Amino acid sequence: MGIAVDIKSVTKVFGSGPAALQAFGPADLAIEAGEFVSLLGPSGCGKSTLMLMIAGLLDRSAGDIEVNGEHVSAPRTDIGIMFQDNTLVPWRDVQGNIALQLELRGIDPDSRAGRIRELLRSVQLEGFEHRFPHELSGGMQQRAAFCQAMVHDPQTVLLDEPLGKLDAMTRESIRTDLQALWLQRRPTVVFVTHSIEEAVQLSSRICVITPRPGRIDRVIDIDLPWPRDMAVKRSAAFTNYVRDIQEIFHGFGVI
Amino acid sequence: MALASSERPGPGAERRPPATSPTAPASAAPQSRAKRSGAPGSFMAWLAQSWMLLAFFVFFFLFWEYAVKLFHIPQYILNPPSEIVANGWADIRRLVSYFCITGLEAVIGYVVAIVVAVPLGLAIAFSSILRRTIYPFFVSLEMTPKIAFAPLFISWLGFGLLPKIIIVFLVCFFPIVLNAILAFSSLSEELTRFCRSTGAGWFQVFLKVRLPAALPQCFVGFKYAALNATVGATIAEFIGSDQGLGFYIQITTGNMRPDLAFAGIFFLTFLGLLMFGAVTLAERFCIPWHISVRRKS
Repeated sequence: MGIAVDIKSVTKVFGSGPAALQAFGPADLAIEAGEFVSLLGPSGCGKSTLMLMIAGLLDRSAGDIEVNGEHVSAPRTDIGIMFQDNTLVPWRDVQGNIALQLELRGIDPDSRAGRIRELLRSVQLEGFEHRFPHELSGGMQQRAAFCQAMVHDPQTVLLDEPLGKLDAMTRESIRTDLQALWLQRRPTVVFVTHSIEEAVQLSSRICVITPRPGRIDRVIDIDLPWPRDMAVKRSAAFTNYVRDIQEIFHGFGVI
Repeated sequence: MALASSERPGPGAERRPPATSPTAPASAAPQSRAKRSGAPGSFMAWLAQSWMLLAFFVFFFLFWEYAVKLFHIPQYILNPPSEIVANGWADIRRLVSYFCITGLEAVIGYVVAIVVAVPLGLAIAFSSILRRTIYPFFVSLEMTPKIAFAPLFISWLGFGLLPKIIIVFLVCFFPIVLNAILAFSSLSEELTRFCRSTGAGWFQVFLKVRLPAALPQCFVGFKYAALNATVGATIAEFIGSDQGLGFYIQITTGNMRPDLAFAGIFFLTFLGLLMFGAVTLAERFCIPWHISVRRKS
């Protein structure tokens, strides 16, 4: 498999002159196609900044990023993107919100009706197609937002703390669905999080990012079987990964 | 392996069961809609909810009626409501024709204000040049009571309809334009980024995201301006006119006929209610999804 996202000496500086703030980098990272890579670090370390730079939604100050072999110089339209605050609009129901992604891309939503149904089924939102966002719990809204981010079958999916505002139980349940979604089609996923356990459960690789200015401290391969169910999470190997990463952040003075 | 099946039954804490079976989701919508809008027989429900308000109104007018008689208030100061109704009815043709004139001034000025202010607000929200020039100018004009211009417009343009319409326009224009600017410039960062990532053109994004997202804040301006419109028309008529409810109230007060002045005030109140009600109805129709509308129904 080829390299899906290639990050070369990327740096982000906000402001200029003596007030300039080094927000991120320099960092190098190559993400293989079909990988699930987590950017794991404390708040304010610049992991979301890196994600926005990959999406072409934020200019980098130095370095280069290639997505699917193409130099990123404008917003990438071949990606799916999702944020902590979801992009569901209140005037459309669940189905309409998913269709919005397609309509903005000039695709007839009717031609993808089967795919929309399939996505809704895999996040357990069948029967909720005609509910409006305000009629859904926070967790269900994020499930719908996953469908919205993936309905155009992007090769690359960027997720910026999509479970950040949910309670612990809901997070657990949605992680399972997210993993199932990823295993279905195997897009390349860049997942921003500050939850160690979440990163270990979902990722094939974890990028540990230092506190500000964020740099990639190390990249850890997570060698656990898929899907990572309760049995895997109870295993000693899983616990060891979590503990090792906790040690790293303890070393940073973060926890 | 059994990941999906082993964890699925768990998360009931977060997931509510669908109100209808997943196979018949269509039946859910009409049900909830019927609950929202008034079905027949909802009058009784409304009565059950609002009887205290009705009782208060009845009490208020009864108190007025008998207080005037009890304290022997002379009729050139204040009349009881029964006399206001009787004397107003005797002069109903004039009242209705003046109502139409004032209503015409208020509605035309208001509609023109919307037609001009919304596109201008949109332009200011998206043009950095306009935002640095016209916008601060408008904000500083906010401090000026627009009604203070009324005598000037009357002296410039005379007694006809036009100066009144311009004054109504002025008092409606500013709340609409300032709210429209706010409305069109406050799309969330996430939605802006989402739209950019789709590669959609400006017009598509405007039509499908920016415009509907801006409507609730626009309606804040529309409602505020609807309240201003009758105030503007009335004061414009006070200053210089030979017809309309403002003129009527001024003349009847001068003739020591507070009963007829009150009749005029009731008609003005009715005009205000009518305009505000129309805007509220339009709001319900345009943004039924918005929380300000949902809470009321």
